[in-house]
Amino acid sequence: MNPLALSLILTTLLAGTLITMMSSHWLTAWMGLEMNMLTMIPILMKTTNPRSTEAATKYFMTQAMASMMLMMALTINLMYSGQWSITKMTNPVASNMALMALMTKLGSAPFHFWVPEVTQGVELTPGMILLTWQKLAPLSLLYQMATYTNTNLIYLSGLLSILIGGWGGLNQTQLRKILAYSSISHMGWMLIILPFNPTLTLLNLTIYIMLTLSIFMILTNTFTTSMSSLTLMWNKTPAMTIMLMTTLLSLGGLPPLSGFMPKWLMIHELTKNNSIIMPLTMAIMALLNMYFYMRLIYYSSLTILPSTNNMKMTWRFTNTKHTMTLPTLITLSNMLLPLTPMISMLE
Amino acid sequence: TLTLTSLIILTLPIITTLLQNNKTNCFLYITKTAVTYAFAISLIPTLLFIQSNQEAYISNWHWMTIHTLKLSMSFKLDFFSLTFMPIALFITWSIMEFSLWYMHSDPHINRFFKYLLLFLITMLILVSANNLLQLFMGWEGVGIMSFLLISWWHGRTDANTAALQAMLYNRIGDMGFIMMMAWFTIHLNSWEFQQIFLTNPKNTTLPLLGLLLASAGKSAQFGLHPWLPSAMEGPTPVSALLHSSTMVMAGVFTLIRFYPLMENNLTIQTSTLCLGAITTLFTAICALTQNDIKKIIALSTSSQLGLMMVTIGINQPHLAFIHMCTHAFFKAMLFLSSGSIIHNLNNEQDIRKMGGLYKTMPITSTAIIIGSLALTGMPFLTGFYSKDPIIETANMSYINTWALLITLIAVSMTASYSTRIIFFALLGQPRYPSLTQINENNPYLINPIKRLILGSIFMGFLISMNTIPHTTPQMTMPPHLKFMALAVTLLGFTVATELNNMTHNLMFKQPSRMHTFSTMLGYYPTITHRILPYLSLTMSQNLATTIMDSIWLEKMIPKNLTTMQKTAASLVSNQKGLMKPYFLSFLLSITLGLLIAL
Repeated sequence: MNPLALSLILTTLLAGTLITMMSSHWLTAWMGLEMNMLTMIPILMKTTNPRSTEAATKYFMTQAMASMMLMMALTINLMYSGQWSITKMTNPVASNMALMALMTKLGSAPFHFWVPEVTQGVELTPGMILLTWQKLAPLSLLYQMATYTNTNLIYLSGLLSILIGGWGGLNQTQLRKILAYSSISHMGWMLIILPFNPTLTLLNLTIYIMLTLSIFMILTNTFTTSMSSLTLMWNKTPAMTIMLMTTLLSLGGLPPLSGFMPKWLMIHELTKNNSIIMPLTMAIMALLNMYFYMRLIYYSSLTILPSTNNMKMTWRFTNTKHTMTLPTLITLSNMLLPLTPMISMLE
Repeated sequence: TLTLTSLIILTLPIITTLLQNNKTNCFLYITKTAVTYAFAISLIPTLLFIQSNQEAYISNWHWMTIHTLKLSMSFKLDFFSLTFMPIALFITWSIMEFSLWYMHSDPHINRFFKYLLLFLITMLILVSANNLLQLFMGWEGVGIMSFLLISWWHGRTDANTAALQAMLYNRIGDMGFIMMMAWFTIHLNSWEFQQIFLTNPKNTTLPLLGLLLASAGKSAQFGLHPWLPSAMEGPTPVSALLHSSTMVMAGVFTLIRFYPLMENNLTIQTSTLCLGAITTLFTAICALTQNDIKKIIALSTSSQLGLMMVTIGINQPHLAFIHMCTHAFFKAMLFLSSGSIIHNLNNEQDIRKMGGLYKTMPITSTAIIIGSLALTGMPFLTGFYSKDPIIETANMSYINTWALLITLIAVSMTASYSTRIIFFALLGQPRYPSLTQINENNPYLINPIKRLILGSIFMGFLISMNTIPHTTPQMTMPPHLKFMALAVTLLGFTVATELNNMTHNLMFKQPSRMHTFSTMLGYYPTITHRILPYLSLTMSQNLATTIMDSIWLEKMIPKNLTTMQKTAASLVSNQKGLMKPYFLSFLLSITLGLLIAL
């Protein structure tokens, strides 16, 4: 794309999210969300095949509907309380409608249908931005307004997200769809802990973003988008294959890696509040996620699928992709667990 | 002196077994003489007891103490054990002498005598035991020796299965015995008879039920009875010793020992009565149409045991004991005579192939006739002194009319099958092959039979004269009740004689249903020996393979889990990609969500 256009688009994307995150007036927040959506469209359509266009269309329609609902919620709120502050949406209709609109923007169940399709329809980089950057704005709004929403809705949606994220990912061979379902599942975890301890939501978000960024960048560097191309990764970049393995394990929440930290703290927080069955169900459902990550690990690092001898001795080209932030990200996403006491910094 | 003499009695046979002499010829004679001397010595304490009515119990060796339970070796010498021991020794002496003739061509006759001796020793331990542990040791001992002796000719499958049957049925009874021992340990903290009878607990139904089960197993009461007819696979001396006079008495003996407890428990008395009545009638019916002479006598033993149970059930343990002692004599004699017949007819056991032995084997036929008469309670022979009081007491007591009627019917059947034996074996024309080797002249054969004849005639009188009655017998009763026993016996005799005489002139018809019922021992062995193992084996197979292996280990969690997850995964990820249904679902979800939230 034209570098000037690209820089303009990316700046607007940045600005949109920042406006939303920094606003205390609902209208500016809504405006930031709209800017975000509108500039995302050209990013999604960077490649000009019909599949991307279709994905972009779907994205636009869903997000537009969500913004409309959000606007309706704001007007109802204005009608009943006469003010535009984000943290005080006392009318239940308004706050729950806004909650559901934001959940649509995030891609939690039962509003999750667009996430796998849009993610699959675009290239890896726009997909990365979709799954990581786009979560920041709605979650910041949720962080502020969640106290007045009906917690039953949040739990329902969260549990459903974890379930759907787990079961949906079992049947996939395309990596982008797998990561989409993984994002649905993680959104579920983030939503559930919101009424108890919103700090942990943000922590989960941070770690999730780090992990997803690492994975996406590894995939981009090796040009793999499906499981069959994963199996050839060992030959081209063996180090990155191992890194993929550890990062995937971290994404699944395996203990000595940093992905365990948010899950552990969340279960701790939930049991402190006397709910036992819900964290139990959540933890068990997270195993479904772990299963298909293990499948990816199995095919990429643990086994070598049958191939002809030519494939075993490929010619190594120089890597033209940017790998600047990748080592940092990978280290962060694997080794952060000992730093858990430092989350008191976030309070 | 009492103590010393009784201990000597017990040790005499033991010393004999301690000598390792399977090779010498003298072992047999030494054994037999040892038993003879033991019998003689055992008469001394018995006579002392008769004179002074002093019971004694010896407690010598302290074996161990478990918490508060003291186990020691103690012997109880009271009326029951002091009377039974000489009788047992006498009969064993006679049988050992008999088996010198019967088994003399057997290469392992030394081992046979050793087994017989071991059996005798364990029986004496059982009889003289003062605590339940020693009794149990004797109990198990006689069980094991019976197993070894029944399967003496172990090359024959029927013998092996019969021995196994004996063992299994005994084991079922042993469970009851162990339950009784456990109850006594828990509630009375002792296994000594003195303590049990002193404390006289009130709720004794459970241990006495266990005791009843144990006696039913050992003494072949109904339900646990098939092993006794099958046990006739063993040699005739074995049948005579074990299964007529001593081992099957062990069950009844233990019941008699516990009479102080049973006096107070009416439930147990009624169940003993009913069990005994059913047994005596059932086995008498089965004995009517058997064709094997030993089986008839075995079923007759079973029937008499039922009669003893009935006596215990009407709370007359002493009468039962006297009947036990007298029954030993004539039953052993019947078995020995049948053994003599069998050997002389070249191992023929089927009564349809005997006949006309009245003239050719006079001593044996005399023995059989006297034994049968004593069995049926002919006045002033042995059986009369025990059987008649039993029937009289039963008639005059407040018991089940039904049980009484059944007992009377069984008594008449006793006469019938005894007549049958006499008729088929002794009377009429010979039905065996003409080349005969009938020879009764061996002293080893004749002397035991002569001794037992004397015992059968006189022992009843002697025992009843020398014992003090513990309950006052009914002296006055209406004449028809007094003659009842005699009358039913005569009825049995006459009916049987008539029927048997008619068999000369009848054409052979298909046996009627009743006849087959009786011949097949009431179908009881056929049914239970097949159904019970089949049920338990199929149940365990189902349990192990189907339930455990395939369902619990394979299907329940692993397979179900995979199916569930696969269905769920395909359901969830099966999106069609059309926007309108998505929006419809969003609409529905939002509506529902708002409804929930409000």
